Amino acid sequence: MPKVTFITPDGSPNEVEAGPGSLMEAAVAHNIEGIDADCGGVCSCGTCHVHLDPAWLDRVGPAGPHERDLLDFNDAADASSRLSCQIELNDALDGLVVRVGRRP
Amino acid sequence: MQAPEDPFKSAREKDGLLRCKYQGESIPMVLRHHDIRRITKDHATFSSDAPFRVPIPSEENVRTVRQLPIETDPPDHTDHRRIIEPVFRRPRESEMQARIPAIIATLLDAALSQDSIETVANFALPLQSRALACLLAVPEAEAEEWIGWGIHVFRVGAGEKKGAALDRYLRRRLDRAAADPGDDFFSLLTRATFQGRPLTRDEQIGFGNLVFAGGRDTVIHSVTGILAHFAEQPASLDALRGDEKAIATAGEEFLRVLSPLTHLGRVCPQGAEVLGETVPPDGRIGLCWSSANRDADVFEAPDEVRLDRRPNPHIAFGSGPHACIGAAHARLLIRDLIRQLGERVARLRLLAAEPLLESRPEYTRRIGYESLRLVFEPLR
Ligand code: HEM
Ligand code: FES
Repeated sequence: MPKVTFITPDGSPNEVEAGPGSLMEAAVAHNIEGIDADCGGVCSCGTCHVHLDPAWLDRVGPAGPHERDLLDFNDAADASSRLSCQIELNDALDGLVVRVGRRP
Repeated sequence: MQAPEDPFKSAREKDGLLRCKYQGESIPMVLRHHDIRRITKDHATFSSDAPFRVPIPSEENVRTVRQLPIETDPPDHTDHRRIIEPVFRRPRESEMQARIPAIIATLLDAALSQDSIETVANFALPLQSRALACLLAVPEAEAEEWIGWGIHVFRVGAGEKKGAALDRYLRRRLDRAAADPGDDFFSLLTRATFQGRPLTRDEQIGFGNLVFAGGRDTVIHSVTGILAHFAEQPASLDALRGDEKAIATAGEEFLRVLSPLTHLGRVCPQGAEVLGETVPPDGRIGLCWSSANRDADVFEAPDEVRLDRRPNPHIAFGSGPHACIGAAHARLLIRDLIRQLGERVARLRLLAAEPLLESRPEYTRRIGYESLRLVFEPLR
């Protein structure tokens, strides 16, 4: 399974071994600070916000319409923002680096 | 399984609006998911800065203070909301994640040991009240007084000041907190400052009022709606037993289909055009969360309860800056309820149900139960 790195709000990188599932689930499994994931990954709460490292933006792809809707409410969201529950991990994403974003 | 009937379907699909009359005031209800989301972003045009007028019907006759933080707009709203944020973050911490299950376990012990139980008054209400005591960091025994108020305490009756009892309670409780402060919610309010000054007593009451009024019926209706569903669809509980992720996903679908809060209002200080309808200056519109959650543009087969629905971008908790601050608490409670039902209950059997209807000339909607008598059959 892929290794992914979360840069937490204090700036420290946390590399974790992800299991199957979404990027949000990897964060929750490792208690990554700043990922509340209140709705459990159904794209309803917006509390799993991350910024993708520019190098990864193209490979992961853009937010879908409902995800975009939620991100639009977050003043801290920008073009690099995604909701981590909407990113399914696979081996092609090994080495992914994301910065934990602010909650809405 | 079909969700409860959606009274807004035809108006939503046709115009996106339903014109409703409340106490002589004509209020267009906005019905589509996309429109509601858009409106909650534009608080300059669609404002919450209107004491008593965010709820529909309005509550001039129910209470004497502005509810906070709900009846303000950013930027003040941001500072108001920040005051109580620490309390509402507690459900994400392990202490509360242990205490809520203990409350539910005790109630399940009682339910399983009786032949049958009326779950609105004797399960959902005590659960809601004890869980609230836990959230507000006051001794659980204080919840007994709140339970004693019964299930009708905040229901709006025409022209009655039903909120007077709550008002008196809050004044008394805040006096006590000021005299003998602790780490609880009321003490926090007595210490809190807003933009550099202490909160007035009316502001403190405004925060307290909303926590009691906003978090009571919504939670009670969620709990009984879930119990009733499992009683009608026993196999759906079997499918969730022991599966944490499936339980969380199911909880969101229950919130979508139950949508315990039908709608809330916004005031248009300068007037507005909404979907071809002219709202006069100081007129109101309604944001119909329960309709948005059945919008076929967003949800496939919106009238079906699909407990494994993902994604599920429902707005049962609202949307935008005012999105429910109690959501993490409500979710903790709902998920743990489903988890423990799965661990301990073989079957729920329905003995008698009296639905609670929100009945208006323009629509009728089941929002919960007046009473719901069930048998809890133990597992093994
Ligand atoms: C399933 C249960 C619940 C539902 C469906 C629900 C629904 C909502 C909705 C739709 C809003 C948005 C208001 C707006 O946009 O004007 C809201 C706000 C709010 N809710 Fe809840 N709620 C629930 C539980 C709770 C609980 C348990 C509490 C407190 C203990 C609570 C306290 C609040 C407060 C204080 C606000 C105002 C937030 C703000 O203005 O920033 N709610 N709720
Ligand atoms: S976990 Fe709720 S939107 Fe991602």
